[in-house]
Amino acid sequence: MARVHLQDVTKRYGDVTAVEEMNLDIKDGEFITLVGPSGCGKSTTMEMIAGLTTPSEGTVNIGERDVTNLPPKDRGISMVFQNIALFPHMDVYDNISFGLRLRNYEKEEIDRRVENAASIVQMEGMLDRMPDEMSGGQRQRVAIARAIVRNPDVFLMDEPLANLDAKLRVHMRTELQRLHKELDTTIVYVTHDQAEAMTMSDRIAVINEGELQQFDPPLVCYNEPRNEFVAGFIGSPSMNFTTGQLTQTGFSSEFYDVSFDTTGIDAKPGDAVTLGVRPEDVYPTEFIDDASDPTETIEAEVDVLEPMGDEIFVYLMLDEDNEGGMGGTAAGDDSLLMSVSPDSDLTEGDLVEVVLDRAKIHLFDDSTSLAITHGVSRASASAADAQSEEAE
Amino acid sequence: MSRDTRTDGGVQGEPELKRGPFQRWVASTIKEPQKAYRAMFYVATIFFLATTLFPFYFLLVLALTPENAPLALFPTAPRFEVFLDVFDRVNFLRYMFNSLVLALSTTAVVLLLASLAGYVFGRLQFPGRTPLMLLILAISYFPPAAFFLPLYQLFTGNVVPGLSLYNTPGSMILPFSSLFMPLSIFILTTFYGQIPDGLEDAARVEGTTRLGALFRVIIPLSAPGVATAGVLTFISVYNEFFFSQLMNNGQPANWAPIVGGLLSLQRAGQFQVTYGVMAAGSIIAVVPVAILVVVAQERIVSGLTAGALKE
Repeated sequence: MARVHLQDVTKRYGDVTAVEEMNLDIKDGEFITLVGPSGCGKSTTMEMIAGLTTPSEGTVNIGERDVTNLPPKDRGISMVFQNIALFPHMDVYDNISFGLRLRNYEKEEIDRRVENAASIVQMEGMLDRMPDEMSGGQRQRVAIARAIVRNPDVFLMDEPLANLDAKLRVHMRTELQRLHKELDTTIVYVTHDQAEAMTMSDRIAVINEGELQQFDPPLVCYNEPRNEFVAGFIGSPSMNFTTGQLTQTGFSSEFYDVSFDTTGIDAKPGDAVTLGVRPEDVYPTEFIDDASDPTETIEAEVDVLEPMGDEIFVYLMLDEDNEGGMGGTAAGDDSLLMSVSPDSDLTEGDLVEVVLDRAKIHLFDDSTSLAITHGVSRASASAADAQSEEAE
Repeated sequence: MSRDTRTDGGVQGEPELKRGPFQRWVASTIKEPQKAYRAMFYVATIFFLATTLFPFYFLLVLALTPENAPLALFPTAPRFEVFLDVFDRVNFLRYMFNSLVLALSTTAVVLLLASLAGYVFGRLQFPGRTPLMLLILAISYFPPAAFFLPLYQLFTGNVVPGLSLYNTPGSMILPFSSLFMPLSIFILTTFYGQIPDGLEDAARVEGTTRLGALFRVIIPLSAPGVATAGVLTFISVYNEFFFSQLMNNGQPANWAPIVGGLLSLQRAGQFQVTYGVMAAGSIIAVVPVAILVVVAQERIVSGLTAGALKE
């Protein structure tokens, strides 16, 4: 049990900067997740907490101690690895007790602790198995038992579920949360899977290109992303982005306009901005009542339907000239992804009118890619009049 | 029309060809090429067995043929007591003991140092890694004679006064270690490099140093490689002639290995060359290595099949 504090931690490999001025303050007992795309520096950050990599600059504190230059064994941490990393030449008992034996614990104490750890991960009675005689899930449980048996201050997990099949992964996810409740230890978890990050953690640290983008609870990252990267990374399927510019009366792009009250928005008319809206905040006009503050209607053609069972993802094409096929992708400017309830009777090729929910619109400044606002409101009549007068 | 071939290889409907057994065999191998491959395999095997085993057999014939008796492929009156003569004439056991001590201590030194070097070359990235590795490998190709004179001067106390290693095990273990180390470094580098990083990281997080991880995790998992390097070093030292003969005066008390023993067997007869005893001595000298190879081979093979690293 300890807090973990990273101060201006930077790691360079030659000319390449893997991690840039990372500042993280992880509270005692917190479950935090480092999340980001492959190669973003999240694993390097974890290795610097673990001591497997020494930072080029900055300090790492665990508890009250400065551990920047301590070897891993003296940091009071334990770690679960992506490739599980059980010692293949040792049975389960020897694997779990490895760290205790190195620290010269009494035999009885080791036995007691191994029994206890094995029972927490429900692996009692398998202590004499060899790693290659077990399934992937069982091996991962042993790796977790090996990590908890020493009562570490901080528990590091580097994509521990990445090598498990999808069903087991979801199961282990809940087990890890149960484990966190039971142990009440600080847990730092690395994953590239934003779903894992959303479901398990108290706070998420979103990292891209070696830099911390946002460090907030999952729903804050989801509802109030600090910048365009976080908005696009958190949430599946990804947020829709449309580039355009801010006008006196709202947002204007090549494909559609949205009017809203621009007073109080920290950007000038004419600024290049990107409008972001999540698929669930796009509504066909038949469900217009579900939107708390519907915008003007936008015409679009249904390109592809992806029925998921509980919802249908609808890929819409905004550009009339778009003939579909490979040209239309959800990530492009000229398309919009909408999620609708499964009883919708849309078919591919339909022309539909959709609205966005103003309260769920995000605006990002194109020059900094930082968020300008989360949610806008309908321009009041007087404000609209004032603006039109101004325009005249 | 039926295309069935006949036993004589002729075509149906034509008069039977008159063929000898060899022609019939040739005809049948054309139908069944496997037969020809099998025959070639046997021919090659018999050839290699004959060329490798016959000298050994002839050594045995040489040993068993009594002095003054004519040599024959099958000795008429084999004299097995010759194997005891070997120990009567010289202190052959001491020579063998010397050889084993030299081989074992060299192997220990080589394995220890080559493990450290193998860890560095196999698992760490640093500038100049490849050139250094090539340099070390190049040293192993130098002729040992090139080192002999300076080492002889050094070991006989002509360079550093008072430092005399001549006639001691050190005068042989040192050159052996440096000569045979590069091969072991190369083997161990390959093996240690294949151990997943995660295992070493896990060991370090669990409480070992890098060195501890090497000895507790990497070396045990590379057991086949370590065994291979060890066996090759042992055999090389045991078979070594050059330094073994020149770095001592050939007396068993002065750590002369088996080479010295065989050469003194040559001198054991008064006025004639005693081929019989020398041959017997050679056969005795081969035994420890033969045993080692048989035992180690099983271990290496079992290690290779059981030690597959699953992550």
